[in-house]
Amino acid sequence: MGMRRRSSSTDTTTTDTTTTTSGGMDGGGGGGGGMGGGACYVYPGAPATPGLTNADVTYDLGIDMQIPLTMDDGNTINMWGFSDNGGNMDGMGGGGGGMGGGTFPSPAMRMRQGDIVHTNLNVGMMWMHTVHHHGIEPAHTSDGVGHITWDVANGTYTYQWRPAHAGTYFYHCHTNTVLHAEMGMYGVLIVDPPEGAGTLFSGGPTYDVEAFWVVDEIDSSWHNLPWDAGTCGGDVGLNELNPDYFVITGVDGSGNSAMNLPPISATVQRGQKLLARYICAGYHPQKIRFGGLTGKIYASDGRPLPKPVSVTEIRAASAERYDIIFEPTERGTYLIETDIIHWVTGDVLGTTRTSITVT
Amino acid sequence: MDKRIDRRTFLKFSSAGIASALLGSTGLLSWTPRAEAATITQTFYITEGFITQPDGIDVYFRGFSPSTNSLTVPGAQMIVQEGDTVRITIVNTLGTSHSFKIDGVVDSGRIYGGQTKTIEFQVNNAGTYLYYDARNAPYNRLTGLHGGFAVMPRGSSDEIYDGSPRFVQQYFWLFHDIDPVWHNAIRNRNTPNTRYSPRYFTLNGLSARPPGAPGAHDPNVDAMADPRSALHGHVGDRTLLRVLNPGLCQQSVHTHGNHMEWITDNGQVRDEVWSKDCIYLEGNMGKFDAIYPFESPPDAEPPVNTGTYPMHLHTEMSQTAGGGMYMFGALTDIYFE
Ligand SMILES: [Cu+2]
Ligand SMILES: [Cu+2]
Repeated sequence: MGMRRRSSSTDTTTTDTTTTTSGGMDGGGGGGGGMGGGACYVYPGAPATPGLTNADVTYDLGIDMQIPLTMDDGNTINMWGFSDNGGNMDGMGGGGGGMGGGTFPSPAMRMRQGDIVHTNLNVGMMWMHTVHHHGIEPAHTSDGVGHITWDVANGTYTYQWRPAHAGTYFYHCHTNTVLHAEMGMYGVLIVDPPEGAGTLFSGGPTYDVEAFWVVDEIDSSWHNLPWDAGTCGGDVGLNELNPDYFVITGVDGSGNSAMNLPPISATVQRGQKLLARYICAGYHPQKIRFGGLTGKIYASDGRPLPKPVSVTEIRAASAERYDIIFEPTERGTYLIETDIIHWVTGDVLGTTRTSITVT
Repeated sequence: MDKRIDRRTFLKFSSAGIASALLGSTGLLSWTPRAEAATITQTFYITEGFITQPDGIDVYFRGFSPSTNSLTVPGAQMIVQEGDTVRITIVNTLGTSHSFKIDGVVDSGRIYGGQTKTIEFQVNNAGTYLYYDARNAPYNRLTGLHGGFAVMPRGSSDEIYDGSPRFVQQYFWLFHDIDPVWHNAIRNRNTPNTRYSPRYFTLNGLSARPPGAPGAHDPNVDAMADPRSALHGHVGDRTLLRVLNPGLCQQSVHTHGNHMEWITDNGQVRDEVWSKDCIYLEGNMGKFDAIYPFESPPDAEPPVNTGTYPMHLHTEMSQTAGGGMYMFGALTDIYFE
């Protein structure tokens, strides 16, 4: 690891065409994270998308590296994310340049099964990012994995895909993923069946109310790192995720902030059906409990289960999704708690809370 | 095999020594079913040494190796069939006691330093197993004394168990996590007393190397190029993944390109096969079997039948080495050819 290398890849296959400059291992240094710092093992590019055709749905995403997230204790953590104004900017400006507009989580995507979708990612010259639509399985040129194709840099790349299966997904950055996804570069991705929202999948259950439980942990000690931290070597602590904040769908979940905040919390009348879309967006495993309610899992990872399964809690690993239908019969308020569990010790590191109110 | 004696008088191995000791011309786990049971013999030498990690740090390991002068982590992949008699000779070249165990199948008991012991057992239950040193648990296992062991149904080449979903080819994926402080304590015959902090993550004994890195594309160094790990198939080449976790970290095994058919979990056949892009792999010897179907990636526009996709752990800390170095962890590539 004595060399600093920058790879470039301009075609659909991985190449080792590198320009090598002298330099040491300095990946952990600095705070700005601009390209001048010398990222290693990134694959800059934004070529034309093979087979580009007209889209039914288009998302224009930019980059925002300055998204303040205020926690219940009053501390503000810097998050990164996608903005929905990327397409309006040139490579240097606004969204692409990281000047704002982003949210945590990033803007939701929602389309119908069979739509041709374009995700236009506009990235400025200060850093590299990609979009990987997790659980969506497109051509590798639209999969957003840097080492196989390219990390989008200084331009706009169009990911083209056409979801074949309705369900719950999410999208996230896949550049220096360990850091970028933890920093918040993800958003919910829902594929509705041809019947539209209100049906989970064709031939599957309908629902009246929808809740989104995107549970994640934050290690604030990671949140001052530059975008390319560790890529050239050096110990920047990315093997240790010791979270001190626990969020649900972008809100501090450790207290009461998400208890009464639709569409995280939900209010449902007896006789109605609630669909909860649960995404394990952190890295440590989780266990979600339904406060005495029994739900039925109808789908996971964007695929229907052969048989729905009745559960009062679910254990989940990173990036798993579960679609749970509740048909509550008793009035009351039910506490939905998700424990974040250390990947080695099994200790509960923190818990997020929201609620279902049945009227 | 590249090996040399270092100043600590231990054998030191570049990771280049690891895969080549195991591989023939193909890394695929090849299997030809037999009508008759057979006696399978295998000799393992318990050895020790240092393996250089992606950040240049040498870390102490022990292994079930093919010879006295080698170090193989994990040990050789073994595949047998139901009804076979397996005769394993363990030559313990070290001064410490070790054992050879397969849960529910065989336990050698204590093998003293310098002792050679032969165990013989019959295998009756098809499935995916970890063989490992159960003494001083989990420490001896963590230093590298483990390997994959598969029992095929009698006379079958394409099932996990009798009547299971069928496959065309099969691979072991052994995921491991490594805390060099613990390994060093064990080397010094101490019980680790520090908080477990894994710094290296391997697939079948190798960390990945991103394109452009030293060792990238070298099948003896780069888990993305290791034919034991990287999946190669054409559309329709349904591929069995025998996934084992000798390490301590709970993992999320994530494939791009296709969902996996999740068939067994910790040795139990699941009631229903779920189609998953992430599967929960428990730490401390968790395991599952899944089939990667090699179907045309379903969401491509225009449709494609070829391409390259990653498999990586979504527990992303495992994608690092030495506290950084993203993509020098436990991942590989999947080739639709
Ligand atoms: Cu990014
Ligand atoms: Cu993902």
